[in-house]
Amino acid sequence: MRIELDRPRCEGHGLCEEAAPTLMHLDDDGELVIDVPEVDGADLDAAKAAVRVCPVAALRLAAA
Amino acid sequence: MTAPLESDIDIWDDDILVDPYPTYAALREQAAVVHLPKNDLYVLTRYDVIRDALGDPETFSSTSIGFNPMVNEALQGTSLASDPPIHTQLRATLSQNLTPRALRGLKVIIDQKADKLVAELAASGSFEAIDSLARAFPIEIVADLIGFQGHVKDNMLRWGQAAMQVIGPLNQRAQESFPIAGELYGWCSSVTAEDLAPGSIGRGIFDAETRGDIPQGSAGHIIHQYLGAGVDTTIASIGNIIALFGHHPEQFELVRENPDLVPAAFAEVLRYWAPVHIWGRKATRDVEIDGATIPAGAQVGILFGAGNRDPRHYGNPDAFDVKRNPVDHLSFGYGPHGCAGQGLAKLEAHAIIEALARRVKSLTISDEVREPSNITRSFELLQVEKVVAA
Ligand code: HEM
Ligand code: SF4
Repeated sequence: MRIELDRPRCEGHGLCEEAAPTLMHLDDDGELVIDVPEVDGADLDAAKAAVRVCPVAALRLAAA
Repeated sequence: MTAPLESDIDIWDDDILVDPYPTYAALREQAAVVHLPKNDLYVLTRYDVIRDALGDPETFSSTSIGFNPMVNEALQGTSLASDPPIHTQLRATLSQNLTPRALRGLKVIIDQKADKLVAELAASGSFEAIDSLARAFPIEIVADLIGFQGHVKDNMLRWGQAAMQVIGPLNQRAQESFPIAGELYGWCSSVTAEDLAPGSIGRGIFDAETRGDIPQGSAGHIIHQYLGAGVDTTIASIGNIIALFGHHPEQFELVRENPDLVPAAFAEVLRYWAPVHIWGRKATRDVEIDGATIPAGAQVGILFGAGNRDPRHYGNPDAFDVKRNPVDHLSFGYGPHGCAGQGLAKLEAHAIIEALARRVKSLTISDEVREPSNITRSFELLQVEKVVAA
């Protein structure tokens, strides 16, 4: 699966990073960077958790 | 089509507003959607259904977030009351100044102010927490942020409270509040850059309007929403922090021992007592939920507090547990309209909790008073009988 970010909607709340720190991070400007866009296995669970916690629904998982 | 189950309660009954959780539990056990004929309303009661509705603006439109036609009319053209695609654009200008990255520079000063205020209160031996803390702190922060000065600052509490009351049904509370909400509306439609302190975010919003970065006339709307949505709610949550630490000293002790728990503790305060108990949507088509149909055009009421205590989602939901870390609680809403001010609300509340953990050893509450209110649920008075400084 592929992690997709709706960039204009992302406001940098950073909850996704807390849920999946190995897959994404906020850079020094507070912009979200997806470090590992293609995910499976254990990463997929973390990615699902990140998608879930985003308070403005800016992240989604799509078929790779 | 199967009609949803009914309940003959009035969700704005004084006793329910003051203590809604037993009613929420009964409604939630009845069904995920319950029809309240007395209020001409369909309420959503379970976590999953609420979250799905908030994430689906095509089906659940924000054109009727309020529970009377006058307020929905008055809110037209605001981000709060619009649907995508217009909402997407309005939201971008609204949230620009409120994102965590925009607010980063404010953290130090907010932390300092919280520490000073809490240290003074801790040293005083006893205090009334609503006026001296829950109201005083967010009013000062939001006033500084937007650049309010003079009489406007003095009106923030009244205006903020009224802006929420009028979202309810046309009961006496809403009727008495309309003229006051009108003062806020009037002020916001006539405010100019010079009325706001130089260097403030409010002034910046006007500068953006002058530059043409945001549509003409939208600056006043944005300031209206900061005040309407950001004052009464934050006040409620800060009062709730003090009350819940007073009621659960062992939970406060856990935060004192481990300040890393501060964000989790605030999330739990918000989950446990939702500052906003009901908010509206309109069903744009017949919607089937668990086999029952909400008819197209119906007024829907979202019970954030009922979803937050849904045992299908949170284990032991009626326990206040600062270690739970319920980051997905519903008190800020969710999805496209998810609270635009949550970064600021968290900055303020985390600053207060950190200061309490640092400055206060224990506190006991002797008296607490809630007044029924249409939309926000907060304390009117909270007497800290004894506070021991750390
Ligand atoms: C603990 C404090 C707060 C709570 C519980 C809270 C709650 C909420 C909720 C439930 C919504 C969703 C409304 C919907 O779905 O239609 C919302 C939206 C909003 N909040 Fe907050 N809020 C808080 C603090 C603030 C602050 C401090 C500000 C700004 C200064 C703010 C500004 C807004 C705005 C502008 C919206 C509308 C967003 C949109 O329509 O896209 N809120 N808030
Ligand atoms: S949680 Fe959502 S809004 Fe926040 S940084 Fe992640 S994607 Fe962006």
